[in-house]
Amino acid sequence: MNTRPRSAIQIRSAALLAVAVFGSARIYASAGQGSQAQNPPAQNQPQNPPPDLKSPGFQEFSDRVQKYVQLHKSVEATVPKLKATNEPELLVAHQKILARKIKAARTHAKRGDIFTPAAREDFLKAMASEFQGPQASHAKATMKQGAPLKKVHLHVNQIYPEAIPYTSVPPTMLQKIPKLPEELAYRAVSSDLVVLDVKANLVVDYLPGVIPVEATDGQ
Amino acid sequence: MILPRRFFLIGLFLVLATGQRVDEFKFPLKSNSVRFAAIGDMGTGEKPEFETSEQMNEQRKNFPFEFVIALGDNLYGGHSPADFEKKFASPYKALLDAGVKFYASLGNHDDASERFYKPFNMNGANYYSFKKGNVHFFALDSNYMDPKQLDWLQKQLESAGSNEWKICFFHHPLYSSARKHGPATDLRLLLEPIFVKYGVNAVFAGHEHVYERILPQKGIYYFTEGSSGQLRAGGLDRSSITANGFDTDQAFMLVEVADDQMYFEAVSRAGKVVDSGVIQRQQAATAAKP
Repeated sequence: MNTRPRSAIQIRSAALLAVAVFGSARIYASAGQGSQAQNPPAQNQPQNPPPDLKSPGFQEFSDRVQKYVQLHKSVEATVPKLKATNEPELLVAHQKILARKIKAARTHAKRGDIFTPAAREDFLKAMASEFQGPQASHAKATMKQGAPLKKVHLHVNQIYPEAIPYTSVPPTMLQKIPKLPEELAYRAVSSDLVVLDVKANLVVDYLPGVIPVEATDGQ
Repeated sequence: MILPRRFFLIGLFLVLATGQRVDEFKFPLKSNSVRFAAIGDMGTGEKPEFETSEQMNEQRKNFPFEFVIALGDNLYGGHSPADFEKKFASPYKALLDAGVKFYASLGNHDDASERFYKPFNMNGANYYSFKKGNVHFFALDSNYMDPKQLDWLQKQLESAGSNEWKICFFHHPLYSSARKHGPATDLRLLLEPIFVKYGVNAVFAGHEHVYERILPQKGIYYFTEGSSGQLRAGGLDRSSITANGFDTDQAFMLVEVADDQMYFEAVSRAGKVVDSGVIQRQQAATAAKP
């Protein structure tokens, strides 16, 4: 690779180097492999493997998710279909209407409806496998990359607070827990694992205190 | 060619005395090249964002880029209609009016509704690809790299032409020497083998509010440009993998892909070029097999 740094300091030092090495002002930077990957230290071996995705707890979770998605779709069918638009007013209005109608359709929803006790057990095992296993440091680093502000208290049917950033859910963790349909996504909020309706920006259910992370400011 | 020593001494004196470049970097501005800008973490709606976009507009007079890739955190804080205006439409009005297209990826501060905001050209998708000339771009959602997205990416890369540039962009950097967050190593565990297998050439990310160019990792060039609105002054802790960096002002990147070369500059809000160079297109380490 041929680079030409351009600040005065860079140019002077680079020119010195270039003159010394090549006898011209052309500067060659390394095009080879970077010498060091930034890998966290090795971790302990996992105590337990993650539960099978067909385990009863995960199956129950997936069944509850499907029921929710049916409700979501039935509500969404009553709202004008969202298309790409130049008018953010339409985006905001669509999200609000959808959220309001879904909330109205499940006014009695409560924590644990989706994350049932049996599902909770499987998720806890999956979390333990993820955060205590050989890849634990990677998962923790990912959580730390964007963990939302301090401790956030959520409740079911709550609109996700707009000023709070999302955490990138460790992708290795996503391979150990049931897949979600496109209407939903897992979110990590502080130490809580959340199922979010991404179209309505609505908290569908959450599992408190299952993610061992330190909160950061999430910038 | 070996020149007499006095030429070097004279040249060295001129460089040290004036700071002028002996061998000035220039974009080739070839007629069939692909020219774009890269910005990240810009959506503050504050003065530095406006000034950075003004500088982009200024640079465009000499480097007529056709589109912009946005590396996430397109809108910080609220997502009301006023926020879309204040944090995007208004600061980039001149570019938008000039017909410059923006292709956005989602950051951890972005709401999913942005997918349907037409000026972001996401067409309702969290992740998508598009082609410009001999360059295939892959916009990924690093907030949520689920198995479905990974499958999609592999299929997309597999079907891309072997003579095309493959450029991925998303929010969280796989390599970073910045102090705040550091690299997304979990994401790297899954993405890097795919990038290597299918011959991704360059990767652009944001999230860290600095500019950094990483030495090639497994043959892939990584750039972080997360300071186009936000800035974490002094936030770069240069490491052994840092090729160059800049953390004292807002910045953006200009890129031209001409045939098998990719020319790039990182430009500060004040218009100072803080990094530049040329990359030769690499071949895939392992040819993708159908």
